Amino acid sequence: MVPTAFDYQRASSVGEAVTLLAESGGNAKILAGGHSLIPTLKLRLARPATLIDIGRVDELKGISEDGDTIVIGALATHDEVATSDVVQAKAPNVAAAAAAIGDLQVRNCGTIGGALVHADPASDYPAAILTDEAEMVVQGPGGSRTVSAADFFVDIFATAVQEDELLTAVRVSARAAGTGSAYLKFPNPASGYAVVGCAANVTMDGGKCASAKVAFNGVANVAFRDAGVEDAITGTGADAAAIAAAAECAGNGQECMSDTFASAEFRAHLAKVYAGRALAAAVADAS
Amino acid sequence: MPCSSNRTMCSRGSERYRITTESLTNGFNVNKSSGYTYIGKPRKSIEGGRKVTGSEPYTSDLAIAGMHHARPVLSPYAHAGIGAVDKSEALAVPGVTHVLTAADLLTRDAVIKSRNTCTLAGDRVIFTGQPVAVVIARSAEAAETGAELVHIEYDVRPVAANFMTASGPDAPEIWPDGLPGDQSIADGHATVDEKAATKEVEKPKNVHHIHRHERGDVEKALAAADVVVRRNYRTARVHQGYLEPMVSIAVPDPMSSGVTIYLPCQTPVWTRDAIAELLGFEKRQVRLVSMTVGGGFGSKNGILDPLVAACALATGRPVSMVLTRTEDFLTTTPSAGGGWDIEIGAAKSGAITALRADIRSDAGAFASGLGSLLALLTGSYYKFPNLLVEVAEVNTNTPHCGPYRAPGAPQAAFALESTIDDLARELQIDPLEFRLQNCVETGDLTVSDSPWSSVGLKTCLERLREHPAWRDRNCAANEGVGIAIAIWPGGACPSSTVCRVSGDGVVTVHIGSPDISGTHSGLVLVAAETLTVSPDQVEIVTGDSDTNPHSVDAAGSMVTYSLTGAVLEAATGVKTKLLEAAAEKLEAHVDDLLLENGAVHVNGVPDRRLTIAELAAEAETNAGGPGPIMADGRAAVPINAPAATVQLVKVHVDRQTGEVTPLHMVAVQDVGKALNPLMIEGQMHGGAVQGLGFALHERMVYDDDGQLISASFLDYDLPKAHQVPTIETVIIETPSPEGALGVRGVGEPPIIPGAAAVGNAIRDATGVRINELPMRPEVVWRAIEKDHGTHS
Ligand SMILES: Cc1cc2nc3c(=O)[nH]c(=O)nc-3n(C[C@H](O)[C@H](O)[C@H](O)COP(=O)(O)OP(=O)(O)OC[C@H]3O[C@@H](n4cnc5c(N)ncnc54)[C@H](O)[C@@H]3O)c2cc1C
Repeated sequence: MVPTAFDYQRASSVGEAVTLLAESGGNAKILAGGHSLIPTLKLRLARPATLIDIGRVDELKGISEDGDTIVIGALATHDEVATSDVVQAKAPNVAAAAAAIGDLQVRNCGTIGGALVHADPASDYPAAILTDEAEMVVQGPGGSRTVSAADFFVDIFATAVQEDELLTAVRVSARAAGTGSAYLKFPNPASGYAVVGCAANVTMDGGKCASAKVAFNGVANVAFRDAGVEDAITGTGADAAAIAAAAECAGNGQECMSDTFASAEFRAHLAKVYAGRALAAAVADAS
Repeated sequence: MPCSSNRTMCSRGSERYRITTESLTNGFNVNKSSGYTYIGKPRKSIEGGRKVTGSEPYTSDLAIAGMHHARPVLSPYAHAGIGAVDKSEALAVPGVTHVLTAADLLTRDAVIKSRNTCTLAGDRVIFTGQPVAVVIARSAEAAETGAELVHIEYDVRPVAANFMTASGPDAPEIWPDGLPGDQSIADGHATVDEKAATKEVEKPKNVHHIHRHERGDVEKALAAADVVVRRNYRTARVHQGYLEPMVSIAVPDPMSSGVTIYLPCQTPVWTRDAIAELLGFEKRQVRLVSMTVGGGFGSKNGILDPLVAACALATGRPVSMVLTRTEDFLTTTPSAGGGWDIEIGAAKSGAITALRADIRSDAGAFASGLGSLLALLTGSYYKFPNLLVEVAEVNTNTPHCGPYRAPGAPQAAFALESTIDDLARELQIDPLEFRLQNCVETGDLTVSDSPWSSVGLKTCLERLREHPAWRDRNCAANEGVGIAIAIWPGGACPSSTVCRVSGDGVVTVHIGSPDISGTHSGLVLVAAETLTVSPDQVEIVTGDSDTNPHSVDAAGSMVTYSLTGAVLEAATGVKTKLLEAAAEKLEAHVDDLLLENGAVHVNGVPDRRLTIAELAAEAETNAGGPGPIMADGRAAVPINAPAATVQLVKVHVDRQTGEVTPLHMVAVQDVGKALNPLMIEGQMHGGAVQGLGFALHERMVYDDDGQLISASFLDYDLPKAHQVPTIETVIIETPSPEGALGVRGVGEPPIIPGAAAVGNAIRDATGVRINELPMRPEVVWRAIEKDHGTHS
């Protein structure tokens, strides 16, 4: 439980952090809230030569609005995201996901950037990032680029952010009028991470479901949008029967994870249950 | 060295006396007409303030001059021969001073026959997590790096990981030459009479012991019964889950040519003797300084300490070893899982006629010692005119199972009380009335035909019958209420204390038994009551095996029962000496003197008075007088005082996800006489929560290769505050006829019935019987699905 020795560097700007990353030749790790990285170091699962602390880079902090887009700095803590009026009003799934993370101590230190780059498949943000079609802003030696939610999560603990890049911000569009939202989570009773987490955005128009976005984390190696559920509910009146039928489609075609707490079969079942519950809650939120 | 013993540290922490310990007299359901001033009144724990403020020192807080850090190298295989060990790379790490293997230790020729005796493996390992080498270094970092670089050749062998299949044709024989006998410490937890036990039976492969108890004719009685319920149950292996991982610091002692060990220890007598034997030392060459135990629940009995002592002696240096949580899961002694095939018959009248139980218990790699207890706990709560109980103790390539608070009892109660509940349903008899009709009373027989000594189970049931949570129970959809009973047999051990008063008026009681459950905070009240002083004026001195008066180890709910008489006698002896000293000073006859409010005065003349401080100061300085004020006390209670309990749990079941939410819990417990009800309530709360752990949460999972795959708290689910319901405690006082003041053991009973009560509540809510612990969501969901399948 003692990390291997490492050098510590503190970046004072995004540019400096990117330069330090480049200089390290792939042997450095960015340190944000440390709530995933430090345990990894203590277990010696990672042995970086250098930690580059971005904790005091002001340009990565805070939550602001850019027209209809909410800009969440990579260093915004889970608690800031969860309690932000703007995020709660315009991207409630992201706020709900943040609120569902760990406990208050974790939410006070952990950051949205760190959580997204860590990309634990059982973490809470990914489903909301997918339903809210967020864009991740990434800066590397060649400048800044954006990555869509659909392209961001690559594999278990792997994202589109390269070793020489920094995630700087998450841009989320405000949800459309008439949209109801919900993020519901079945937490692993031991770790608190999501066994199944389901986010839903349901846009109702004239008593009909005009569009639906439904996404899961916890179920498979990578968080995913569930087109089966979305297609099944879209165009219906989103009543109990329609929701139940749509929920039955959840997880189809996915290879579910299996662990000591929940077998793949049980996870697949829970995905259906949570699809139903999240849809119902989102529909109720829309009205 | 910062301190020479725990005692120095305790008296240094003189803030103890400034912690306010006002009595909280509200809300306790105890006999109030006792006439006592302190006994029976709830009072905060002695060390509570220090624990809450973080100032209580634990073993890993100690820094001893020259202390080196040790890291164990644990076997990654469950069964393997050990080949060459290459230490060179590890020894090259800056700061690493030694890499030790079995041959380097004093214990090299000792017979490895239990977890407590396996310091380092020599030629083979028989469970994953068995220590094979130790790296000693000047820093914890260097030791950890060194441990990664010890290269050990293993010749991997087939594994018997599962106790249900360990007797099968494919399983390797773990002890082909027979298991070296060992009386496991689990036996120390309760007095089990085995006179009628064990006919010699042919033992299947990897079964090292079969316990068999027979009464009457079970076959005939089951055939004649009006109703028979037969069930199969499986219970998981669970861990004690204490907060403080195992830790030990050993210091070679030039004075005794032996060793001093700083450790959290609940069984200092047993552990000192075991370590001395293992090291080939005289007992007096092993000195234990028992530090505050950060949770033990049966496990802190000397698992790490022989190894750390041997390392200190091999290197000549103080050596500290602190396990990580994962190492702790891998290499300590969890509680056994088991399998029950159980059948109970009854007549239409509701009278139980027969019990047949076939039990398999997972001993892990060494001899279990749990079998006789499992038989007792399965076959002794009810009057069974006919019974056949057989327990097979099975070896597996997994860590040695050890004692956990009421060893084996929650598991046995789950099997028994689930079956009893179903039987009551089949008979259409109220489950509480059914239990009242059949449960044992004083004099009824245990499984081995010896009579129960005084037991107050019926009173507990009658009390719960009147409780609104039972009497007025009403359940919304998917809610249910379940109850279950338990008796912990308890035990007793000869114990002694010394009580003295010093010139500053402080009353000191020397107690050898460590306090892992609030026992000291009860015993101070006995001394305070006897000497009419505030409990704040009484100090307990404990912790040093060189100076402890011999006393019961903290196991088996025995401490208060064994010691109360000794404390009472010692304090009474001190009182006599105070009165004698006062008689001389006040020139009055002893019979005319009264001890009140910490002072002696002449009856009717309140002004002619001397405080105990004055009397003690005088006694300490008066040459030619009676001498300083002190007295000893001894007790050797002849028999055990069983402690009964009944618990009620109300649950909600989510039929879609299988999640079970406990909504409310009532714990009724016979404590004999409550010395400090606040401590007892704490024990009942804690035990009830651990019972919920058995019921819904905890499970150590091994794969077929004997690899532990739930080796951290990310996977191992301890119950947490937000998952625990309100727990109402009801204290019943049926005084024990033996021992002093009527007290009974308290610590173990409250962990026992919870799992069974939750199972019965789930049955009540859903109509589905869960036959597996823990009743985690997937298990409950599958059972509901299956039940749905059979009905539709
Ligand atoms: C007790 C506990 C409970 C938890 N429970 C949950 C839970 O229920 N749900 C959940 O989702 N999560 C949970 N977490 C994880 C938590 O969300 C972490 O805070 C988060 O995963 C990491 O964020 P961080 O800021 O602490 O990042 P760090 O730990 O500092 O970094 C994590 C990784 O991301 C990289 N990184 C960090 N910031 C950037 C950046 N801006 N650009 C590029 N790379 C970066 C680091 O190099 C590292 O590899 C829990 C953690 C703990 C300790």
